[in-house]
Amino acid sequence: MTSYSKEVIADLVAGTLPWPQTRRVMSAYKDDDRFFKYVAVLQDRVSWKDPILLPVSDHLFICQSGDERVTRCECGHSFGDYRKNWKLKASIIVRNTEETLREIYPSSDIPDPQWMEIREFICPECGTMHEVEAAAPGYPIVHDFQPDLEGFYREWLGKPL
Amino acid sequence: MLDKPASALRIRERLIESERLMEETGCYDGITELHLRNQDPLKFETLHTKLRAYCVSAREMARRISASPGVREVGEMVVAIYTPEGDAIALSNGIMVHVHTMSRFIKWMIRNGYEENPCIRDGDIFANNDAFIGTVQVPDVMDVVPIFHSGKLVGWAGAVCHELEAGGITPGGDVALAQERFTEGLFVCAEKVGENDEIRRDYVIRCERNLRMPIYWVLDEKAKVASCIDMRESVKALIDEIGLDYWMQVSKEFIEEGRRAQLARTRQLTVPGIYRGHTFYGHVTAGKPGYQPLGDPDWLYNMPIEMEITTDGKIIMDFEGTQPWGYHSMNCTPAGMDGGMFVTLTQHMNFEGLVNDGAWMATELKLPHGTWTNPDNEMVATATSWALLLPAYGVFQRLLSRSFIGRGFVEEAFVGQVNSPMIEMGGTSQYGKLFGMAHFECAAAGSGALAIKDGLDTAYVGWNPESDMGNIEIWEQNMPMLYIGRSIVPNSGGAGKYRGGCSFVSTWLVSKTDHLRLVTSEHSSRVFDNGGMCGGYPAPTCQKHRAVRDSDIFELAEKRAPLAHHTGTNPHRSELELRLQGEHVTMEGPYITAPHKTGDVFTHSYNGGGGYGDVLERDPLKTAMDVENGYLTKEAAEGIFGIMLDEDEDGYPVANLEATKRHRAEMRANRLAKAKPVSEWIASERGRVEKADFAPEVKKMYASAIKLSSRFTREFSDFWNVDARSIFMPGAKP
Repeated sequence: MTSYSKEVIADLVAGTLPWPQTRRVMSAYKDDDRFFKYVAVLQDRVSWKDPILLPVSDHLFICQSGDERVTRCECGHSFGDYRKNWKLKASIIVRNTEETLREIYPSSDIPDPQWMEIREFICPECGTMHEVEAAAPGYPIVHDFQPDLEGFYREWLGKPL
Repeated sequence: MLDKPASALRIRERLIESERLMEETGCYDGITELHLRNQDPLKFETLHTKLRAYCVSAREMARRISASPGVREVGEMVVAIYTPEGDAIALSNGIMVHVHTMSRFIKWMIRNGYEENPCIRDGDIFANNDAFIGTVQVPDVMDVVPIFHSGKLVGWAGAVCHELEAGGITPGGDVALAQERFTEGLFVCAEKVGENDEIRRDYVIRCERNLRMPIYWVLDEKAKVASCIDMRESVKALIDEIGLDYWMQVSKEFIEEGRRAQLARTRQLTVPGIYRGHTFYGHVTAGKPGYQPLGDPDWLYNMPIEMEITTDGKIIMDFEGTQPWGYHSMNCTPAGMDGGMFVTLTQHMNFEGLVNDGAWMATELKLPHGTWTNPDNEMVATATSWALLLPAYGVFQRLLSRSFIGRGFVEEAFVGQVNSPMIEMGGTSQYGKLFGMAHFECAAAGSGALAIKDGLDTAYVGWNPESDMGNIEIWEQNMPMLYIGRSIVPNSGGAGKYRGGCSFVSTWLVSKTDHLRLVTSEHSSRVFDNGGMCGGYPAPTCQKHRAVRDSDIFELAEKRAPLAHHTGTNPHRSELELRLQGEHVTMEGPYITAPHKTGDVFTHSYNGGGGYGDVLERDPLKTAMDVENGYLTKEAAEGIFGIMLDEDEDGYPVANLEATKRHRAEMRANRLAKAKPVSEWIASERGRVEKADFAPEVKKMYASAIKLSSRFTREFSDFWNVDARSIFMPGAKP
């Protein structure tokens, strides 16, 4: 079975593993022990102690916080119960004018702001931009991911939550 | 009549029996144990490798027979081997879209009584390009031949090529102006086009008299038939070696193993749960020539997608809430939707070689009837189905990537890529002949970023895993235009910690013709369709075409004065306007206009990919290199990424790390100052929703989605705490 050290996984996640090695990881059979090493790498990255149960984005994790399972920013800010859409507890910047779109697309073709806007979802504490939605005006904010956490741990990982 | 099926049952009854067994046991053809695999795993694997080698070798041979640069240069073809019932056993590399489309074609013939009429005999050749029977679009022309051994049907060999000319209302293959089936070109509807291993002369004559450049289609037919015969003979020789009974059993076990492998791979790479995403497609047609009265002037399509990964590893994609089919060429059939799923899965999950219909059986598509994904009218056009199909599967790439990130396989997370606008043309060639062709340099757009690195620059499209733009010189041989520029488009990748891949722009001089019609299709137009992930921005749109009619380029060249080779980075004044005299035209969206002639200049650009991660985390050193190499402008590096650049003694950009740190701290503070709680935004936006204070196309989009989907209506109403039906469909019955 393929397996990598925690250090290799840490470099891979950080994007600092040299490309030839990364390419070999991509081409080889997948390492079945990846998940827990990955979570351990991420746990080292955060300053808080609550155990990470599942990463949902680059700096966003579901973690066990006392009796609750919450979506938490890497900085520690909690977006509440993981079963609810964390975006509804975030801060938002909406770009729906040519002027504000031009700030991101200074020299390119941009969409018609009457047809489409950009929504930036930001951690209200540290200012990390966690997601960007491009949507028609009026489109409901999407709930990206509702993991089957119990099923994942019990049936796929073979470990209790 | 059929010579003889391999089992005692007629092939139609055998197909029904196979489906019943799958239904009852959950396993392909009722195969609950992989006996042959367990008996001798090495023999089992070796045989599958051989089958795949037959396919790859047949495809390479076919590419050398073909005259089409699309097939020869770009590799727009695939070949495969099927069971007698039409299930894919093994495929070559190539356009992996067609794992299951040829399967649908074979099954359609079986279900429609082809055993009796027109009969299925050794040496027969059947062709199809009807998407409602089983292909993606008219230019995807497929040929299959039955494989008989000892007088019994033991399988099928099949091949598909993407044709550059389909004889439609506009020249080329992806006939953008088709608004009904009747304008898409030459249809071959599951027809017997050859007997005794020979293509019928009357079929060739039909092609010659209905296509602008029949050489592509006809030689591709020969290439496909040759590859099918090659595979057929290889399979027959293999059966001589291993025995017919072994073949019949092992070919089915390969498929069941493929099904199990797909489920296992999903359990290994992903996280079960519900994933959601959406994208949009905008099409600007109002006032453009050639659009018939049936077509709506401008369209905005929403594409919400919900993906469920079950704990047994099945992937279910649900398109509920998407838009109805329309009088345009962008509708898609279930066969095309299968194709989109397969080309995605083969790139992101099925990378271990065994790709066949087993994987299809481990997935499910929910395609609401009456929508563009599953039209309830078989007369609709599907010629540019990629226009909607690929944005939708771009979302699938991002949803899958979310699952890879959850599981830790960050090296597989890929923001994906949508479609690139294709350019097609026709008229009078530089040789004075009638011509028509699709140009496939769009096969090398920019990819989305990965979760660990930047996207690929000018080297990716979603629809062909072996993206290749072909050689300039080959394309120039086939069209009355000469390249005067092909350049990277700076800032065309979506911004992010890892940026999307950059696209390119081509600039052509029309040459040696007085009649060149240009038509572009599959265009992102007024919306972002290459989204970002995890804080990365979407790639910009590439909606503008620029042309100069009656330019003074020959005079400038004579004087050795500077020419325009690209459009430049000034969104308000292009390089063409700066350097060339003539009648300047800037057109938004699809380019459809009066013919061009010698001396005109034309530009066409392609999509970049979306970005990954927060822009303020991008590596300053890498960004300096991007600026140096023309992938980013200095203005974008500073304004978007917050990376301050100085110049070294040779004038090259170098990152000022201290200044960058200060600037980024300010940008982060500004971001927080500008942002407001989402709850406040919802409260302020609700009034606009209640008044439906949107552009007409947006309102129409909501009304269409609400009419077709109770789930969309409920979710919209719940989110805004409004009655969506009364807002967008006043007077409609509850």
